[in-house]
Amino acid sequence: MSGAPEQRDWNLPKDQNPNREKARAIRARQRAIGRELRRMYDDIAQEPIPDDFADLLRKIDENDAQSGKRVS
Amino acid sequence: MGQHSISSQNLPTAPVTQDFKSELLGLIPFLRAFARSLTGNQEAADDLAQETLVKAWQSRDTFIPGTNLKAWLFTILRNQFYSDRRRAWRQAPWDQEAAERIPGGGNDQSWAAELSDTARALRCLSDEQREALILVGAGGFSYEDAARICSCAVGTVKSRVARARKALIAILEGEDKLPSIPRPDEGDAAREIMAQLDRLAPNRSAEELARQQARRDKDSGS
Repeated sequence: MSGAPEQRDWNLPKDQNPNREKARAIRARQRAIGRELRRMYDDIAQEPIPDDFADLLRKIDENDAQSGKRVS
Repeated sequence: MGQHSISSQNLPTAPVTQDFKSELLGLIPFLRAFARSLTGNQEAADDLAQETLVKAWQSRDTFIPGTNLKAWLFTILRNQFYSDRRRAWRQAPWDQEAAERIPGGGNDQSWAAELSDTARALRCLSDEQREALILVGAGGFSYEDAARICSCAVGTVKSRVARARKALIAILEGEDKLPSIPRPDEGDAAREIMAQLDRLAPNRSAEELARQQARRDKDSGS
């Protein structure tokens, strides 16, 4: 019966209830994973932007200038 | 970032357009981060982020000022990612090189080889769970915005995020396979995680292939 929930031992104080301890451990783990996810995401967001992006936006500007003359 | 600032002073564009462009510039780092989480590969991610910028610029008239530009861009990026991937699979279904650029297909390069266990475990999640978790858990989007980006219901995002968190813990702790075995020491835990990933990865690839096949069938049918 490995899937059955652990029985509370009523002789233990409330905060040493194995289920509570397990829940607390899971919450701590969730927070750690949350921090790790944000760290990975932020690390990438803080990388210097490759030059290709500047080139691309320059091209957009140039196209814009040309179509600007034609259209408006 | 300063050395990459784009000069556009000489252009006859309206101030609104200039604002839009500088806002786009400021959001590039986040586009790159989200793209990396989707593709699992820096080169593919930067290509995707650039495609997104071009698309965004071309469709700038459809953006409603005052609404969330970041969410709008992320929506474009996400749609682009899935449509590129569908096209890649249609054009060269068994092209190994293409498969390697697709998360879950071929030899996934992950966020990088030196990555943390969390990053590796993230690659084991389904696309839906991973993107929901990244948007809400790392990107700081509300459930509502994440739902708009993924074009699904808010409740769906909530349950995907919850399931993703649970799955990550299960993968990292090996709990789903080892419910009643006492926690091993750290060295054993690391080995167990790796073994767990090895067991999970082939299944995941098989599922992914099946899903890709289903999408292709659907696309060729329409």
